This record gives sequence, structure tokens and C-alpha cells, in this order.
Amino acid sequence: MITNRTVTRCGTIPVGLLLLGASLCAMAAEPAKDQPAKDQIDPAVAELTQLSSFFELGAGWVSDDSFKFGEYNGLQDKGVYGVGSFDLRGGARYDSSDTTRWRITGTDLGLDTRAITAEYGKQGKFRLNLAFDDLRRNRSDSYQTPYLGVGGSVLTLPAGWVVPTVPVLSATSPNARGLSGAVASSSALVGGVLTAPTPAQLATSSALIAADLPLFRHYDLYTKRERFEVGGSFLLTPKWELAITARRENKDGTKPMGSVSRSTGGDIAAILADPIDQTTDQLSASVAFHSHANSLQLGYYGSKFSNNIASLTWTNWAQPATSMTMSSAPGNQAHQLTLAARHDFTSKTRLVVTGSYIRNTQNAAYIVDATTPLVPVPSLDGLVVTKAFNLKLTSRPRRNLSVDLGYKFDERDNRTPVRTYAYYDANDAASATPIDAAFSAALGVPATLLMSNVNVNASRPYSRRLNELTANADLHFGATQALRLALGSQDLHRWCDGSWIDCMDAANTKEHSAGLEWRASPNPRLNARLGYTYTRRTVDAYNENAFLALVPLANVSPSTATGGESAYSFMLANGWNGFGPAAGYALTTGNMNLFFPLNNALANSTYQNGNRISELLGMRRYNMADRNRDRVRGSLDWEPGEHLSLQGNVDYHQDKFPDSRYGLIDARDWALSLDGTYTFSENMSLTLFATHEDQRARSNGNTYVTNSAATSVNGNTIVSGGCFATIALRNASNKIDPCLDWSTDMGNKINVFGATIDRKNLRASHLDVGAQLVVSRARSDNAVAGGNYSNSPLAVATAPPGTIAAYYIPAAPLPTVVTDSLELRVNARYALSAFSMLRLQYIYGDMSSNDYAYQGMQIGGLSGVLPSMETAPHYIVHVVAVSYAHRF
Amino acid sequence: MNILKKRAPWLGAIMLGMGFAVANAQDAAVADRTLAGDQVCTRCHDETVAKPILAMYKTPHGLKADERTPGCQSCHGPSVAHVKNVAGSGKRRTPPDVTFGLHGASDASVQAGVCLGCHEGGKRTLWMGSQHESQDIPCAGCHRVHIAADPVLTKATQPEVCFACHKTQRAQAHLISTHPLAAGKMGCTDCHNPHGSTGPHLLVRNSVNETCYTCHAEKRGPFLWEHSPVTDDCTNCHTPHGSTTASLLKARVPWLCQECHSGDHGAQVDSGANLQDGAFTTVDGINPLANAAARAQLAARACLNCHVLVHGSNHPAGAKFQR
Repeated sequence: MITNRTVTRCGTIPVGLLLLGASLCAMAAEPAKDQPAKDQIDPAVAELTQLSSFFELGAGWVSDDSFKFGEYNGLQDKGVYGVGSFDLRGGARYDSSDTTRWRITGTDLGLDTRAITAEYGKQGKFRLNLAFDDLRRNRSDSYQTPYLGVGGSVLTLPAGWVVPTVPVLSATSPNARGLSGAVASSSALVGGVLTAPTPAQLATSSALIAADLPLFRHYDLYTKRERFEVGGSFLLTPKWELAITARRENKDGTKPMGSVSRSTGGDIAAILADPIDQTTDQLSASVAFHSHANSLQLGYYGSKFSNNIASLTWTNWAQPATSMTMSSAPGNQAHQLTLAARHDFTSKTRLVVTGSYIRNTQNAAYIVDATTPLVPVPSLDGLVVTKAFNLKLTSRPRRNLSVDLGYKFDERDNRTPVRTYAYYDANDAASATPIDAAFSAALGVPATLLMSNVNVNASRPYSRRLNELTANADLHFGATQALRLALGSQDLHRWCDGSWIDCMDAANTKEHSAGLEWRASPNPRLNARLGYTYTRRTVDAYNENAFLALVPLANVSPSTATGGESAYSFMLANGWNGFGPAAGYALTTGNMNLFFPLNNALANSTYQNGNRISELLGMRRYNMADRNRDRVRGSLDWEPGEHLSLQGNVDYHQDKFPDSRYGLIDARDWALSLDGTYTFSENMSLTLFATHEDQRARSNGNTYVTNSAATSVNGNTIVSGGCFATIALRNASNKIDPCLDWSTDMGNKINVFGATIDRKNLRASHLDVGAQLVVSRARSDNAVAGGNYSNSPLAVATAPPGTIAAYYIPAAPLPTVVTDSLELRVNARYALSAFSMLRLQYIYGDMSSNDYAYQGMQIGGLSGVLPSMETAPHYIVHVVAVSYAHRF
Repeated sequence: MNILKKRAPWLGAIMLGMGFAVANAQDAAVADRTLAGDQVCTRCHDETVAKPILAMYKTPHGLKADERTPGCQSCHGPSVAHVKNVAGSGKRRTPPDVTFGLHGASDASVQAGVCLGCHEGGKRTLWMGSQHESQDIPCAGCHRVHIAADPVLTKATQPEVCFACHKTQRAQAHLISTHPLAAGKMGCTDCHNPHGSTGPHLLVRNSVNETCYTCHAEKRGPFLWEHSPVTDDCTNCHTPHGSTTASLLKARVPWLCQECHSGDHGAQVDSGANLQDGAFTTVDGINPLANAAARAQLAARACLNCHVLVHGSNHPAGAKFQR
């Protein structure tokens, strides 16, 4: 939510911090204790050794509005802004008998990115600090919506809103593309005939466009974080230290967010302005003991997240009489105790042990309405206990040998009870038919409470426990070379307490790694390192039935089943997963026809879910799949002369998933960086760098649909392309049709170039000039192979014989997504005196990008998604700032 | 003694780098941490040297009233041969007992030993055996103690220090989707503890998720409907240093989602054929505009048009992350 304190460009600075700043400024006017008056000090000496302060004031100008250019730097608005910063330091001199020092800083005071810090302390005794930090993040400056109430938690459509349709296609089906005059006036295939819109249809379109388009209004979507921090550390004795920090962060604003509603004919979506009004409070405190051979630290960390917006309600743009509500992130809190202990057995052998216990709770009230007929409790009463333990033993048994052994235990134990809920999708109206009586009985609810289109899902509180061992050894060969051997073994167990069936695809994974690195420094001007690590992750038994944890009725025998079979038991009896038999069409009867009709995948009606949630046979989720990982890292630093230094770095990373037929198959990423710096003189240097990164990921899928006995499309039988010539063959072969396999080959090619040049002491040592240039070019491609069938819109009942019934539509590569950016920064400082200077800053920012995803946000783009008019970032911005800085 | 009244002796009294404590007890016995002790060094090292060091007296390392404050010799050792101007094997002056820097200096372990003599504990408890320690990265590889403001301790300038070695991350920080590193509103140490940690990748907390939750507490839950990869590891889907895809995603949606979801509409192939100008239906090669809607799972926010709350939902009807 945008509040008054954020609407102005420069905003406000917290009063408390201003008072603190004023106090500290006042202190600056007084010589510190034991500090000689300034006129006693040689200015040159003072310049070199004494604390000094400075302030900078000026003005800047931004040539153009651009949220992306100003995404994080506060320079999003065209026009003039204030330049202001200061760094005030005071307190004891280096040779004083006092140790009191203070400092207060401010940066970006004229922008929404301002920060102020203050410190006060007696070195060796205590230190107090305060901080305020603004961070604005721009989300979209092209967003448009007809909804009223943006910024709030209830969004409504204006009174004049007309549900958009494309009348030539349907007079009643909502269709957001009807907002486009071009779409509405174009001919359409209707019943297999290319049909031009009638005058009446055109008039309808014109009327709705005239009514709706003016209702779209532009809103700037951005969020802003305001962070306040206060803390202190106290050296109680030379060996005991106490530290405490409290931080509050308020985050408010709006960001774009999708939303879905059920409408006649399917789901429709709208990009809404999601209101943000959140507060996160954090407190950390620690007491630490430290001696030569031992240290001990006991700490507390608490984090409380509060959300002042519990939900977002919006009107269905396709059915304005209805609205629906989405939950916002629930308030939660976490409290952590940590203990860290170190003991040095000898000067060369050390043991460090750390432990941590976190209690994370959440109990926000549920949002319930007519779409949630079965909600067993009013709130989650969620509890996650996270325990961590680390042990690290390091030793240097010989001067040239170091070894370390580590053990890590990290457990996230979600103790939230599993409960079963029933709901209708996206504000769907309940059907008139009750669910299977056996299901109602199993749930213990009245037979007429839940209707056939209800989803019955059980929660899955995910837990995981990691046990990891590491062993590393470094062996130095003389002063110039070293080898490092690193071994690791990891055991990860995942589970859901209380779930009726194992909820995890991979309940147990093991990962072993071995790495070797060579380092060499034959002389001070040449340093090289090259390392290789191989990691293999194996899954004890990938569980393709884990999805059933969501649908407990899969373990209940429907009243229509025989022999008490449930979906789960029938699967087990046949040795199938949810995909069922990898077979073509066959007429089925009895339980087979109930659970896997016509050899199709497990019927979602038998587990009472609106969607088929079983996965493909051979699908492996990549974070839990068998994986072989190779990683190479290398670098070379070379200084061929006093003036030149060169660096090269290479990173290579490859993951292969050998047992994954579907899902992510492999991913590879390599990057090469070259840097060079030439120092012409003490006053001039030039640095150039270039990085090329090549990322690639390949995945497989299959776009199977259900087998059927249908032999034609409105009497038309011919399939063009694909693996089967007729509709009958195609429909009988959906689960075995190789033409339904598809694959993606996603790649990013990134080139980043940079140059930095600094020239100092120009114009009789008055002028320093520097410039930085960064050019970034990114290309994202996706070569999709495979395809799917699509029934021809011409295959109508009246079509002439020989009409193609369906086409096999080969997949096509996606358009290249391009992002090019350039940023040039030039800074010049002209010294007016030893204590003052003029500073000139110039920034040139240039970004051009295209992304086909934005097509779907435009009018005429998607039929089921209300356009938000957002556009791909593009800007050319000049910034000029002039300021006066004074040091004192 | 008010050395400021005599500039030359004063300059002589201020010298050489002063990191922290002594390397060992023997050095401590002979090191003189006072200004008089510093004077041994400053006879030669005055402000005209290539790397001026006098600004150190503006820093905590120069505040002599703090009895923990070191002198030149505390860190560099008594350096007797160096002081006596003894030529070393390369016919140059024998260097101080301990020299600091990334290359051509004392062993990294020796340098670290000096610094840790005072700065042991706290965030540095796990330095031994950490990634940087094992890579022979000395403290002075990142820290500059002879100047008034160490760049690595300032959020705005810290990334450039880290990027000196982590060049791939430097490039990623200039992509279209990033954290606010380049804007100076976030430092690498907001997420990483370069001195060693119990978490992976030197993260400041025990795990990736714990680290992310320090700023993104709204993602912490626990939620009624959890999304398994989210509770597992944020980096299953996100790449934190920069991405070509919004929200720092590792890959574009819908394909990122389809790497795990192959059921129902997750099974469908989404390709250029499903864009508005794609050949997803064919009528003599022409697709009438009125029929040519792109597929919603492919355009705009793709899967996230509808499945909005992928980090978890607390709505009783939110199992599909729609509410």
C-alpha cells in the first residue's frame, strides 16, 4: 500500500534520525577530549591523519522517465533531483588518550534510495549504531488496468465495464481479445467457414471497446522497503562481548500479480496490482567469549513477519457479478537459538562446533467462503522446527599439509498436522451431483456437502534431514604449488509426517563428491589454479506415486469399485504408477474401466481432484533425480610487467540426469572471463574486461492426451503429418505415440564487456576524471522439437470428403529474447581548494529488449487473460549531476 | 609527546601498515605498538610512498588509546633485517617479516595468523578450512587497512572487490533481472560470509532458505500448501546473482515448471507454434486473426498467470497455488 510517506519523490527522513544527526553534528563543533585545537595542527598532517568530514550538495537532472533504468537507483523519474550526501566523523584523534569516536553518514538524500547511518562508541568498550535505509524497487511503469481500488485489497470493476467478447466467434463467451478492434473486425473461422463479422457484431464490438478501453488506467507499480536498525556491541571484558541488533523493515507498494477465476468455458486470468503492506521485525543478540584457545558464542535471532493485508479480492472481469479472494502471505515468526564453540587443541588443531534450533510458527486465520466447504480448522497452527549441527575439525599436522573434517546435520521438521480440505477451483460453482458416497463417508461429511467437481486435498508438510560429511586435504609442494583433495558425502532424507502415503518423489538421496584442485604460483607475477569436482547423486528409489499424498481419497474404494479396490491398491496390484499402462486404446471393463479407462492415465475422478496430477512414466523432478555433476574452475593471474596485469577465469558446470526420461535431462553452463589492467602512470589506468557465458538446459516432455475410440472429427478421418494417418489410429495410440514426445533446448548466450579508465591530477592536479562503461548483451533461445495434433477448424460435418481432420503441428523455436544494455558513467572532480571540490557526474543508460511474453499482455493477445499493457523494458536516459563537496 | 609540533618526527612516527595483533607470542615480546615503535618504520615510509598509509590513523587500527590497537611491528613483525636495510637475495631490501597482499607476499596462513590474532571469533570462527582460506586467499586479498575506508566494508563498493575474482557473478549482475548490487543497495555480505560459514556457498546462515528468509520472510511460512522445491532450496528455481529471466529464475516459464510437472496441462508442448503468429492451426497456411489467440500458458506470465502463489498458499482452496 502506498502511504503518504512514500508518495513524494524525495520522501521523508525519520525524525529520530534527523535528531540524532543534529546531535552528532553539534558534537562535531566541539573539539574532542584531548584533541588539540585545529589551529595547532599542521594542515598537511591533519589532512593525512585526522578524522575529517564532508558534505556534498547539488542537483541532478534525469532526461526521461524509466522504471527499469531506475529500478533500484531511485532515478526513475524525469526531472530534477537533489544530490545530497554527507559523512561526518568526530571523536578522538589517533594519539588521544580517549577512544570515543562517532560517525554519521547520509547518501542519496534526494532520492528514494537514501540511507543514513550513525555510530557512536568508545573503541574497546562499546559501539552503538543506528541506520535507516530506503530501497525502492520499480516493478512496472507501463501497467494498465480497469480495476478500481489499486493499492487496496479490494479491486472492483467500474460500473461501465462490459464483458469483452469477439462476437463473430461467440456472442456470449468472454474473450479479452475482443478489446482489440482489429481482432473484432477480422473474419473468423466459424463452423469451418471463414466468416466476416456482421454489422451488428461490429457494432457490439465497437460499443464494448468504447466502453472498456477508456476504463484502463495507468498505474506505476513499485515497492519500497524502509529499514530501520538500531544496535550496539559492548566489550564487557577483554574476553566477553555482548551484541544486540534490532531491525524493522516496512515494505509497501504494489506489484503485478496473476489471478485466475472460473468462467463459463474455462478459466480466465487478470494481472492485478497486488497490494503490499508488510512489516518484518528482526532481533539478534549474542554474547560471546573469546580467549586464545577457546571461543563460545550464544546467540538469539528472532524474525517476525506481519502482513497488514490478509487477502486480495477482485471482481471477475468475465462475470462481474462475482468476485473471488486470494490469500496473502500469512504472518509468521521464527525464533532461533545458536551456539558456537571453538577449541584449539594446539596452535595447529582446531575444533568448531555449532548448533542451531529454530522454531517457526504460523497461525493466520484462514479465508473461507462458499468455495471451501470443508475446512477442518480455522487456522493452520503450523510449526516447523529446524535443527542444525555442524562440526569442523581442522588441523595442520605438517607445515605443508592441512586437513579438515566436517560434519553437518540440518533438519527441517515440519510438525504441522496433515489435514484434508475440500474446495472448488477458482470460484467454480458446485455441481449438482454429490461426490461418491464412499468418499463422503471416508471424510465423515454429509453426503450432500461435497459435489462432484470438488477437490479433496490433504496438506503435505515437507520435512528434510541432511547429514553430510566432508574431508579436505591441502598439500603444498614447496612454496610454488599446492594440491587440494576434497571429498564429500551427503545423505538427504525427506518426508511428510502424517501423510497417508510417502509424499516425496525421492525419500532418500545420496550424494558423493570428489574434487581435485591444483594451484601454482611459480613467481609472484604468475598464479594459476585449476580444479575439477565430480558429484554423483543417487536416489534410493524414485517414488512415482508420491503425488497421491495430495489426494487421500485415492486410498478409498469408490462405491462403484469392486473388491474394495481403491485407486492406489489397483495401481499397486497392476504394478503401475498414475500414468497406468503404457499401451494403446483398449476397451476396458470393471475396475480397469473405473481407474484406467481405455488404458488412460489414472482417472482423477477416482481420487477426487479437478486435474490429473499423475506424472509421465519416467518423469524425474530434477531436484530429486539421479544426477552426475561435473565442475571445472580455473583462473590465471599474470603480471607480465609492472604496468600490466591480466586475468583469465573459466567456470564450467554440467549436470546430467541419467535416469530422467522426462523432465530436465541435462544442464550446462560455462563462462570465460578475461580482464586486463594497464597502468600508464600513477595518474592513469585502464581496465578492460569481457565475460562470455553460455547456459544451456534441455528437457523432455510428452503431450499425451487420452486414448479414445473416436474415429473421426465430425466425420473427417485423415490426419496430416504426425505418426498416424487416421484419427482412429491416433486416438488409439495417445500413450504410445512417439510424435507426442517433445523436447526443449534452452540457451542463454551472454556477453558482458566493461572498461574503466581513471585519469588523475589533470589541470595542475585539480582535476580527476574517471569513466566506466558496461555493455551487456543477452540472447535467449529455445529450440522446441516435437509437436502435437490439432483438430482442423475446417473439419466440420459438412466438409467435403478428404478434408483433413487434424494436423500434426510441429513445434517451432521461440523467438529470440534479446536484452541489450549499455551504461556509461563519467565522473569528474575538480578541486577548488584543498577542502572543496566540484563534482560532475554523467550517466548514459541505454536498454533495448524484446520478449514474446509481453505479446500476451497486449490488447488482442490472449483470449483468457485481461491485458495489462506491460511492455518490455526499453530506455535511453541521460543523467547529469553537479554538486559541491566540502571537507572539513 | 606531542609529535604534531615536529612534523618530520611525526611523519616518522606514523608508518607502515598495521593490521592487527602479533603473529605469535615471540613477536609480541619485541613488537612496539606505540607511536615511538611506529617511528622505526616511518623514518623511511612517509606519505610520499606509492601506497600512502597515514590514513590508517583515521581508522580503528590507528587509535592508540585502545590498548588493543596494533603498531606497525605488531603486524609486520620487528623486521630487523628490513630496518637495517639488509639486501636480500634479489639485491633488494629484505622485506619486512610479514608482508600482506594477494600475491608476492607472506603465506596467506601467516597473514591470516596476524589478523586473527585479534580478530579471531565472531564471524571468523569458521575461517580455518573455509573456501577462501583453503584457496590461500589472505585477509589483505580483500581488505585494505591502510586507507581511511576499506572498500570491502562499504556496501556500494564491496561487490567490485568480490568481483575481482568472481567474474561470472560480475557479468550476471548486469543482466536484466538482478538483486540491487549494482545500485549499491545490497552487498555480497548480505548473503555471504566470506570468512567461513556453516551454510553452503559461504552463506550467512545454515541453509540457502534461511539466508533468503532474512529479507524475504513472507516466503518462510509454513504454509498450508507447501511447494516441495521451495521448502527444499530456493535455488532450485532461482539464480541469485542475475538472470535473463524475470524474478531471477533459472529458466523461463513454462518450461521451468514443466521440468517437474508433466500432468494435465503441464504435459502440453509450448513452442513458437503456440504464439499468436504461430502455425498452431492451419488453414491454407493462414490463421485468421480472430482465431489466433496465443496460448495463455506460454505468454504474459505463463504458468504464473494462474498459479500465482508458487511459494506456498495459506488459503484452504490454494492447493494449486491459485489462491
